[in-house]
Amino acid sequence: MLFWERFVDNLPYFLEVLIPAAGMTVRIAAGAFVLAIVVGLVLALLQTIRIGLVTLVVRSYIELIRGTPVLAQLFILYFGLTEVGIRFTPIQAAILGLGLNGGAYLAEVFRAGIESIHAGQMEAALTVGMTPLTAMRYVILPQALRVVVPPTTNYSIALLKDTAIVSAVAAPEIMFKARNLVMETYLSAQIYLLVAIMYLVMSLILAFISRRLERRLGESGTTGQAGAA
Amino acid sequence: MSEMLAVYQKHLGEWLPQLIDAAGNTLRMTALAFVLAFVVGLLLALAKLSPIAPLRLFASGYIEVMRGIPSLAILFLIYFGLADFGLVFDAFPAAVIGFGLNGAAYMAEIFRAGILSIHSGQTEAALTVGMTPLAAMRWVVLPQALRVVLPPLANFGIALLKDTSVASIISAPELMLRARDLASSSFRPMEVFLLAAAIYLVMSLPVSFLTRRLEARFSRGQAHV
Repeated sequence: MLFWERFVDNLPYFLEVLIPAAGMTVRIAAGAFVLAIVVGLVLALLQTIRIGLVTLVVRSYIELIRGTPVLAQLFILYFGLTEVGIRFTPIQAAILGLGLNGGAYLAEVFRAGIESIHAGQMEAALTVGMTPLTAMRYVILPQALRVVVPPTTNYSIALLKDTAIVSAVAAPEIMFKARNLVMETYLSAQIYLLVAIMYLVMSLILAFISRRLERRLGESGTTGQAGAA
Repeated sequence: MSEMLAVYQKHLGEWLPQLIDAAGNTLRMTALAFVLAFVVGLLLALAKLSPIAPLRLFASGYIEVMRGIPSLAILFLIYFGLADFGLVFDAFPAAVIGFGLNGAAYMAEIFRAGILSIHSGQTEAALTVGMTPLAAMRWVVLPQALRVVLPPLANFGIALLKDTSVASIISAPELMLRARDLASSSFRPMEVFLLAAAIYLVMSLPVSFLTRRLEARFSRGQAHV
């Protein structure tokens, strides 16, 4: 019980350290999320042009990334690349590693979304004189958006939790700061419990935002949805 | 590139047996955590579908909380946190318990979806012929639900296999920890981690290949919009 008293006494100090660290967690997750969306979209679009070699390269990237642990990818980026003279800061390595990893997962999500749109949509757009790119941009992607939003928001929640492992390359986020606090105070149960609660609160907030976003897109998407599905 | 080959030529004979040995631990950790997640997940799914409100509440709470916390935080709580209360685990069992209890929350949702996908007429028919609700669940609903949940279960297993690499952070003896040791002793992190990644790939690819074929087979003949 002595432990809990010390914990309560030190709580303001813990929060003073952990709340800015939570801000760093959010920044890393946000950076990786944006990178994953860009990479995922590019990879998904590259697969639609159906050039054998391009598809092969893209598929290999997706399979290699999805078949190996993100922690291994992180170590290759952070420790491995130093051998060839490329040095990232922990935060850069974290954003790159999680983003490139997420890109492979989102590529599959986006591909499924694009494929879910009836082929007649593309044909009709081409018939009225659109170029394939304009048709993709103004006809296919807006409709695919509705399909991909739920899996993408689910991914964002998983990503938020996955940022915990970048503590292994000393990125100064919640988990890393928590480990330092434990080394200072030896209050491991209390500090990790506090950390778990902080992640839980962040996940719940993100889940709440996601559900509202899905509902809004669901409503606006029902208008003018004659041919899809 | 040629330098990398030279490194492998020199060290592969020493690294590979060590990494493969450690990969055995990774497989053991994955299998044990999978079994734990399977059992606890099934119980949670049944609890969430049960007519008893406190059980439903407990299961929902457990699932929501577990799914909102990183598995690393759970490993730290079990490995370092419980030590404060005199519950000292080795890193390996701590990882198995952590991944198992964490995975149970995901497993529970898979099972629940599988059970709900079985038409309620099946249970009704079973009850009509005089089965108890438990017997109907055991002999009628669950065997059919198993077919539905097989692909997501396999996907969960693959994700778990890769996630066990996180256990290296609490120094549990598995593939990634051995790779980190070799990387720091040889000063060749790139080559070691690439080799470790290749071993994970070799372990996960056959399962994901089989899963995809299984999914294709199950979805055959099902109406798709």
